[in-house]
Amino acid sequence: MIDFSIYDKQEPKIYGYKCPKCGTAYYPATMLCAKCSNRRDPSGIVHPDWDKFSLEGPCKLLTWTRVWALPEGYDRPYLLFGIVEFPNGLRAAGQLETENPVTGMDLVAHVKESSERPGPPVNVFVFSDD
Amino acid sequence: MTARVGIVGIGQIKFGNLSEYDLVDIMAYTATDALIDAGILENRRIIDQIFVANMLGGMINHQTGIASALVSRLDLEPTAAELVENGPASGASAVKLGYMAIASGIANVVMVVGGETMRKVTGWEATDCVATLGHPEAEYDMGLTFPALGGMFARLYMERYGVTERDLALVAVKDHENGSKNKYAHIDGTCTIEAIHDSPNAHVVNNYVAEPLRLFSVCPVSDGAAVLILVNMDSPIVEKFKKKPIRIAGIGSATDTHCMHNRKDPVEMGAVKLSAERAYAMAGVKPEDISFAELHDPFVILELAISEEVGLFPRGKAVEALRRGETGIDGRLPINTSGGLKAKGHPVGATGVSQVVELVRQLRGKAEKGRQVKDPRYGMSVNFGGLANNVITIICAKD
Repeated sequence: MIDFSIYDKQEPKIYGYKCPKCGTAYYPATMLCAKCSNRRDPSGIVHPDWDKFSLEGPCKLLTWTRVWALPEGYDRPYLLFGIVEFPNGLRAAGQLETENPVTGMDLVAHVKESSERPGPPVNVFVFSDD
Repeated sequence: MTARVGIVGIGQIKFGNLSEYDLVDIMAYTATDALIDAGILENRRIIDQIFVANMLGGMINHQTGIASALVSRLDLEPTAAELVENGPASGASAVKLGYMAIASGIANVVMVVGGETMRKVTGWEATDCVATLGHPEAEYDMGLTFPALGGMFARLYMERYGVTERDLALVAVKDHENGSKNKYAHIDGTCTIEAIHDSPNAHVVNNYVAEPLRLFSVCPVSDGAAVLILVNMDSPIVEKFKKKPIRIAGIGSATDTHCMHNRKDPVEMGAVKLSAERAYAMAGVKPEDISFAELHDPFVILELAISEEVGLFPRGKAVEALRRGETGIDGRLPINTSGGLKAKGHPVGATGVSQVVELVRQLRGKAEKGRQVKDPRYGMSVNFGGLANNVITIICAKD
C-alpha cells in the first residue's frame, strides 16, 4: 500500500529536540547535549537522530518590542516581536499578534509559513492571545 | 614570560558616509595615518604581520581576500596578512590576535586594521546583513533584526531596574556631547534633553525604532576605518618608533549562547562579565582602577548594562550614576568619551579598533579640548558581536 499522504501539504511546524539519552530538550537544535554530551546526527545514518516534537501551545511572554524599521519585504508599518517561555522551560523568539502586549501575559504559540522576506518561504512563530 | 605589547601608532578616518570610496582605499588611507603617527612610513616593512578586521566585505562589497588587497595597496608585500571576521567584534579580535602574535614571538611589529563600508547599501540592507549574525532559523527567519533584539533587551532591563526613556535620552545627550568634540565621530552635532525627550514634540525628532528604543537610542550606520600599530616593548625594535608605547595591559574574551532567548536571564551578559574578569586578572587591576571606558553601545541601554557587567557599577545602579553625571567627561568615571557607537558611529569591522584608538588618544593626553579625561591611567574597551555572544575586553595602561 502506497502512503500518498506524504504528498499532502504539510502543516508548518517548528520543532524542539530531545536528547534520547537523558531527555533534555532543546530549541533550536544543538549537536551535543549540554547535560550528557550525547551527539545528534541529523542524517540518522551513523547515529540515531534525536526525538523531535512540535513546539507550540501555551507560553508566557518574557519581553517584547514593536519594530518600526522592518527589513525588506514587510509591507506593514510595524511588527511586534516577543520572547516567550513554554511550560517545559524552552524559550523561543518570534512574531507577536496581540493588541496590548504586557510582559508576563499568557499567550499561545502557533506556527505559520511566511513569504514576507525575500527567498523561499520559512516557518515562523506567531504568539497570540488564543 | 611573554613580551609586553604596546601601541605606538594610531589612525582613524572620520566615520560617516564614505560610500563613494573603495573599502580597501579607506583602510589604506587610515593605515597611512597610523604609519605616519608611528614614524615608520618609509620604514614600514618592519611590520611583520597585518590583521585586517572586516565583517561584511563579502556581502556588501562583494570582495574577499581583503587583507591581501590591503597589503598591495600599501606596497607592503611580502608582509604576512590575514582577515579576521568575528561579527561586530572583529576589530577587538584582530587586536587580540595582534597581541598574541607578538606575545608568542611570531612577530615584533603588527599592524591591526579595522574597516567597513556599510553605506554602500540602503539602511535596511545593512540591517539585514548584520541580522545574519543571528540564528538562521530561530532568529533571522522570524524577521528579527538587531534593533528588535535590542528593543526586547531594553524593555526587560528597563522594567527590572526602573530605567526610563528619559534615561536613555540622557545617555544620548552625553554621547553626542562627547562625539561633537571628536573630530573622527560620524555625528558631530549635539542634542538637548528638551529636543529629544522633554519637549511635547520630542517624539517627532526622536521617533521609535524598536520600542522602547528610539532614533536617539540607536547608533547610526557608518563607514570608517581605524588602525593600530603594535610593538614588542621588550625588543630593541621599539626604539625605531617615535611615540612612547601605550601598553596593552589586559585582554579577555568570552562567548555566550548564540540565541539571546537561551540565556538563563536574557538581560545578563555573562560573556561581558567573564571577558572583563579575564582582562582585569591579566592586567592585575580592579574595576576601581579604570579611569574611563569605551563600551559597545549600538543601543544606549547597553552602555548602562555593560558598565554593570564589567563591575564599574553595581547591577541596576548605572542609571543613578548617569543621572548624577558621573559618566560625563568631567564625572568620576567618563564613559564613551569618543561619543561611543551612538555618536562616533559603528562601522562594524572598525569599531573595536577605533575603541582602542580612543584609549590611546586619551592615555596620550591628546584628545580634543573639552573631552580629554584628566590624568587617565587605565582605559578599558568592551567590543562585542551579536547581542553579547562574543565579547572582547581590552585594558590599556599609561606606564
